[in-house]
Amino acid sequence: MRRRFCIFQVLLTFPIFLALATGSWAQSNEVRVADSKGDWGHPNPWRHYPRGPGYVRMSWVFDTLVWKDEKGMVPALAGSWHYEHVRKAFVFQMVPGAKWHDGKPVTPNDVVFTVEYFKKNPYGWVVLDHVDRAEATGPHEVTFFLKRPYAPFMEDVGGTMPILPKHVWEKVQDPKEYGEPAAFIGSGPFLFRDFDVAKGTYLYVAFPEYYQGRPKVDRLIYVKAADPVAALLSGQANLANIQPEMRPLLEERGMTVIGDKAGWVKKLMINHRVSPLSHKRFRQALAHAISQEEILQKAHRGRGRPASYGLLSVDHDDYNPKTPGYAHDPSRARQILESMGFQRGPDGFYHKEGKPLKLELLASSITVAGQPTADRDGEVIRQQLESVGIRVELRSLEQTTTDAKVRNWDFQLAISGHGGIMGDPKILNEMISEDYAAGSVNSVRFQENKELLDLLEAQMVEMDPAQRRAMVHRIQEIFAEELPSICLYYPETLSAYDPNKGIRWFYTKGGISKGIPIPQNKLSLLR
Amino acid sequence: MGREANFRFSPKGKGLGSILTFASALFVLVCLSYVLPRLMPGDFVTAMFASSHVTLSANQESEARAYFQREEGFGEYLLRLARLDWGRSYALFQPVSSLILQALPWTLMLAVGAHLLASVCGFMIGVEAAWRRGTRVEKGLVGLMTMLEGVPEMAVGALLLAIFALQLHWLPTAGAQTPYVELSLWERLADTARHLALPMATLVISYLPGNFLLARNSMVMVLGEEFILTARAKGLPDRRVRYAHAARNALLPVVTRFGLRLAFMVTGVVVVETIFSYPGLGTLLFNAIRSRDLPLIQGVVLFSSGAVLSVNLALELVYSRIDPRTRHAP
Repeated sequence: MRRRFCIFQVLLTFPIFLALATGSWAQSNEVRVADSKGDWGHPNPWRHYPRGPGYVRMSWVFDTLVWKDEKGMVPALAGSWHYEHVRKAFVFQMVPGAKWHDGKPVTPNDVVFTVEYFKKNPYGWVVLDHVDRAEATGPHEVTFFLKRPYAPFMEDVGGTMPILPKHVWEKVQDPKEYGEPAAFIGSGPFLFRDFDVAKGTYLYVAFPEYYQGRPKVDRLIYVKAADPVAALLSGQANLANIQPEMRPLLEERGMTVIGDKAGWVKKLMINHRVSPLSHKRFRQALAHAISQEEILQKAHRGRGRPASYGLLSVDHDDYNPKTPGYAHDPSRARQILESMGFQRGPDGFYHKEGKPLKLELLASSITVAGQPTADRDGEVIRQQLESVGIRVELRSLEQTTTDAKVRNWDFQLAISGHGGIMGDPKILNEMISEDYAAGSVNSVRFQENKELLDLLEAQMVEMDPAQRRAMVHRIQEIFAEELPSICLYYPETLSAYDPNKGIRWFYTKGGISKGIPIPQNKLSLLR
Repeated sequence: MGREANFRFSPKGKGLGSILTFASALFVLVCLSYVLPRLMPGDFVTAMFASSHVTLSANQESEARAYFQREEGFGEYLLRLARLDWGRSYALFQPVSSLILQALPWTLMLAVGAHLLASVCGFMIGVEAAWRRGTRVEKGLVGLMTMLEGVPEMAVGALLLAIFALQLHWLPTAGAQTPYVELSLWERLADTARHLALPMATLVISYLPGNFLLARNSMVMVLGEEFILTARAKGLPDRRVRYAHAARNALLPVVTRFGLRLAFMVTGVVVVETIFSYPGLGTLLFNAIRSRDLPLIQGVVLFSSGAVLSVNLALELVYSRIDPRTRHAP
C-alpha cells in the first residue's frame, strides 16, 4: 500500500515539476495579439465573420486598392487615383511589382475580375450597385465606371474591397464552399498559415516579396485571452484592447497606451412605431430626462464623452457643431409630458387615460471592438426616467435575444451601440434609412421625415466635398430634432502594446476600412 | 450453485433493462436536441449580421437566411443522425463532428483529469481524516474543506491567476499550449502541463472539498459497523482495516458523485474554460449559442447529453463490481 501511495504521489507531483521547470517558448521576431473571443472565422471574404475583427484578420492577407493610416487615405495596390466628373469614372494607377502569394503578378485584370466576381457573388462589406463596370485601361491602369456619382466610393470600394486573384477564383463556382489553401492567396503583407478553431488562434507569416517591403516581423499570431491585460503583463501577448481603468497599471509596467477618437457610440434605440414613442415630443422629453454625464460618471467612472445627438462623431471632419442638444432638465421633460396629456399620480408616476406610463428597457452585454462589455447603463437610465415620473421595467438579456427583439420591433427602448461614426458619412444612411439597412439592429429605420430621406440620398451622389458637408450638417440637425434614437456617449477606446517589440501601433483615421476602431493596421508592421 | 445461477441471471436482466432505458432516453434527447435550439429567440443571420459593420438590405438578408438556415424536418434530422452525419457549422463551414473532436480532447483532459484527481485525493484525505476522527488534524481539515466548499470556481480561478501567473510569473494566463512554436515531444508535454496547471488546480480545489466531506462522513459511518470491529479483533493491520475493509465500503457515494459531476463535464467547466481561455466543448457550445449556430448547438448538446447517459449506464455496471449488494437491489 505504501508503494502504491508513493507512485500516486509521484504521478501527482510530476506534472507540477514539469510545468514549473520550463519557461515560455515565444520567439523574438514575432508579434502576438490578444483577443478575448478568438474565433472570427477564416480570413477570406466569404469566410470571415462580418464584424470588424473578422475583416481585420482578412486584411493581413488581402490588399485593397487604397488603405488608410492615422492621417487618412494612402496608396496600396493603387499608387495614385483621380475622379473624372464627365465620365463618372475613378481611375487608378496600380503599383508595378505587386505579387500574389503564389508569385504571380497582380494586374488590372484581377481588379476587373474582382468587381465582376463580387457582383455575381456578393460580399457584404462591398456594395457595387452603383458601379457599372471596371475596365483595364492600361498595363497598370484600371477604371471604374459608375452608373451615377457615388461619394463614398473611395472608402466603400477603394479602401474596403479586397482584390482577388483571378487565376484562383475564376474556377470557383460557389466561393462560400471553397476552403482550399488557394482560397487564402492574396497580395497582402502576410500569408495565412493556420486558424485553430478550438484554441481560437491564428498564424500568419511574412510575405517576403510584398511590394511595400518585407514586414517588420516574421510571424503574426493571434492568441485567445479572456483577460487581455493579464496576457500583456505575462508576456503572452504584445498588443491588446484594454479597459480604461487599466491604463495606469500598464503604463507603470512600461506598456504604451494609445487611445482612439470617438469612433463608437452607445445609444438608446427607440421603437418609434408605437405610441407614445412615436411622438417626437415624447422622445425629446426622454432626451431631457436622460443625463449623458451622469451615465458616464456612474457607470463608467467618467471615462468617455457625451455624444452628439446628430449621430456623427464630434471628432468627425463633417461634424456639425450646431447640432441641437438636450440639456439634462427633468422639469422640462415633465413639462413636455404634461403638455401631451400625461398626469402625475400620487405614486409619483405619470398616467394617461387611466393607464400608467410604463416603458420596457432592454439591456445586454455588447461587443465593443471585439471585446464583450458588460452593460451598466440600463440601471442608470432607469433611475433617471423614474425620477422624472416614467416607470421603467429593465430587462437584461443576452445580446442576440435583444438584437432579435429590436430587429422585429418587439421592444420599446433598448441599449445598443455601433462603430463607423468616424468613417464616411454613408454611415448616416445605414443607421437611419430602412432602404440601406433593413436587417441592421443598429439602424433606426426611420422613414417619417421626407427632407431627411431626400438629404440622405442626395449626399450619396454629391461629389463636391463642400456641398456634401453642408448636406451632412443638415442631416445631423434633423436627426437630432427627430430623435429616432438617442445617442448617449462615446466610450474611451484604448489599446496597450509592448514598445520593446519596435512596432508603433496606431488607430486609423476614420477606423480601418468602414470604421473599425481597432489599432491592428497592417501599416504598423510595415513602416 | 443454484443460488449462484440466480445471482448471475439477475444482473443480466437488469443490464438489458438498463440498455432499453438508455435507448429510450437517448431518443428523447435526440428529440430535445432538435426542438430546444429552435426555441431560442433570434437566428444565425441576426446574430452574425444584425449588429455588424455589414448592413444588409432586406433582399440580402433574405438571401443570407435562405443560404444558411435551410429548415430541416425532424425526419430528415433523424435520418442524418442515423448516417452519423452531425451536420456542418453555419459559421465555421466545418463538419460538426470534426469541431467536437477538436475540442473534446481538451475537455477530457481538463474535466476528467480534475474529477479524477479531486475524487482520488478527496477520498484518500477523507479516509485518513475519518480514521483520525476527533484529532486537531481532522477538525482542521473539516473546517478548511467546509470553507473551500463555499468558494466559487470563479474566485478560485481569479486568485490563482493573480498569484501564479501575474505575480510570480510561473504559469501562463491563457490557452492550452503556446501556439505555433517548434517544440520537442517533452517540451510540448511540459508546455501543455504548464497551461493545464491553473485551470486544473481551479477545478480540483473546487471539487475536492465535496469529495472529502462525503468520503469522511461515509467512512465515519462505516467505521461504526460491526464488521470493522471483527476485522480489528482478528488482528489485521490498521492499514488493511482502513482501506480493504472500511474505505472500500465507503467508496460508493464518492463514485456516485464522480459519475454525476462527470456527466456535466461540458457545462461544468465553462467558467474555468472562459477564465483561462482554455479550449473545450463548453467554449464551443457557448460560442455556438451566441452565434445561433444551430447544427453546432445540436451536435454539442446531443454529444454531451449522450455522455451523461453513458456515464449513468457505466455507473450502473460499476456499482455491482464495487458493492455486490447492489446486484440484489430491487
